Amino acid sequence: MGRYWRIFREFFRACFVEELEYRSEFLGNLVSSFFGIGIAILTIHIFFYQTDRLGGWTYADVLVLLGVFNTLKGWIDFALRPNMPRLLEHVRRGTLDYILTKPVDGMFYVSFRHLVFWRLIDVALGLGLIVYGLAEKHYMPSLVDILVFLITMASSLVLIYSLWMMLMTTSFWVIRIDDLSFIFDSFFETARFPIGMYRGWVRVILTYVLPAAVITNMPALSLLGKWNMATALIAGLLAVVFLWLARRFWRFALRSYTSASS
Amino acid sequence: MVRKYAALLRMKYMEMLAYRLATIVWMTGAITQPLITMAVWINIDPSQSDAFFFYFMAVIFVERMTSAWDVWELDREIREGTFSNYIIRPLHPIHWAIAENVVYKLLFLVILIPMWAGAALFVPALRVEISMSQLLLFLAAVLMGALLRFLLSYTCGLLGFWITKVAAIYSVLEVISLFLSGRIAPLSMLPPLLQQWSIFLPFRYMIGFPIDLISQAANGHEVRQGFMIASVWAVIFIMMLQWIWKAGLKKNQAVGG
Repeated sequence: MGRYWRIFREFFRACFVEELEYRSEFLGNLVSSFFGIGIAILTIHIFFYQTDRLGGWTYADVLVLLGVFNTLKGWIDFALRPNMPRLLEHVRRGTLDYILTKPVDGMFYVSFRHLVFWRLIDVALGLGLIVYGLAEKHYMPSLVDILVFLITMASSLVLIYSLWMMLMTTSFWVIRIDDLSFIFDSFFETARFPIGMYRGWVRVILTYVLPAAVITNMPALSLLGKWNMATALIAGLLAVVFLWLARRFWRFALRSYTSASS
Repeated sequence: MVRKYAALLRMKYMEMLAYRLATIVWMTGAITQPLITMAVWINIDPSQSDAFFFYFMAVIFVERMTSAWDVWELDREIREGTFSNYIIRPLHPIHWAIAENVVYKLLFLVILIPMWAGAALFVPALRVEISMSQLLLFLAAVLMGALLRFLLSYTCGLLGFWITKVAAIYSVLEVISLFLSGRIAPLSMLPPLLQQWSIFLPFRYMIGFPIDLISQAANGHEVRQGFMIASVWAVIFIMMLQWIWKAGLKKNQAVGG
């Protein structure tokens, strides 16, 4: 474990040095992050221009939810998104061999080798929005609230990673598509809003099959003090199950990987 | 010119068939955002469910018919230097892009119209009762929308001669258009200030305006005014495109070999 942490730090350092070559990008990235979250808030404003509840959530509640969403999205863009096209490229060209022969776990390497640390700005902005939403609501979360929030947030990260990894692993078969990440984005967009907003079978799917509801709604609800231990535990359990599935799927894909002839 | 276009269209058609899976995935990719937005609006005002359903289905249709991807292509080609292959040919590179647009959008049309008709048999909310002339007006508006989006996207792409981040600039425009084109909400649901802006900016005419025509939300005066403003924008875009193209060629230093 300690070894992998060291390797991760080394990845981070390498990418950091690489990014420092392009220091002028900082301003652009800062602007785009602020722009992104500003637009998201504006969208919420437009909805609340016509109503005062969204799926049973007030304006401040939805802001907290949006903060959680933005934070998680920041993590995805930081650690996961940059690696997707690279894996496709490796599989297509057969250069995955070089990675598989390295003395590190292949799944770990392909999912974290490239990091775009500018996107950590989104994480910070998301956290800021959470605080602002709570202030707007005049709600001070208790220590237990925060603890449950941290647990559910960690489960969400693991869940996201697993779903993302499963999608990425399909690249062993569908190598013609340049970028699969928009499939994930389509699904993840549904997590932007309260789950109570969806009806019928869509809601069932988003709760149990593709747990968008769990990913953003649970952490937001925990911070707002509306958690219960059972659902938090289920979220944790779900995360472990999905991680296991992703791992199995990766192993399965590797078995069918035949490498490109050289 | 006709023969050249016939050849171009055939070539692009072959290309599309070669990437069937990618085409299909790509075609279905853009539908979640409108569907989610629709869920939000139906949640806000359940009594208008049918109207919202019709509106956002129309958004998906018009969005597909007018979508423009040229900026990403140009951005990549100019940066990697492969754009030079097109510059040295005796035909303006824009014709390749136009042929590609025609082929893909005809395919979308051929697939989407029967889907809509089939769905309308079962879902009354999707049925439209309009006269032939209104239908023609709608199609003209869609064509106008496609033209505007294509011109904007191509012009932005040509900026790649000067800057490397044109895709980012275009995304900003796309996000602005999200609000002002009617994708986040029917324009009548927006705050009055944004509504006013949307009339004079080009974005509304890319998506919202055709939908207003087919749902008969616009009266005769608004229709004339709409087409006029859209045409003015089309002329502005064409002039910008020509100017940037000329200036860009002078600036161009083919990257790579």
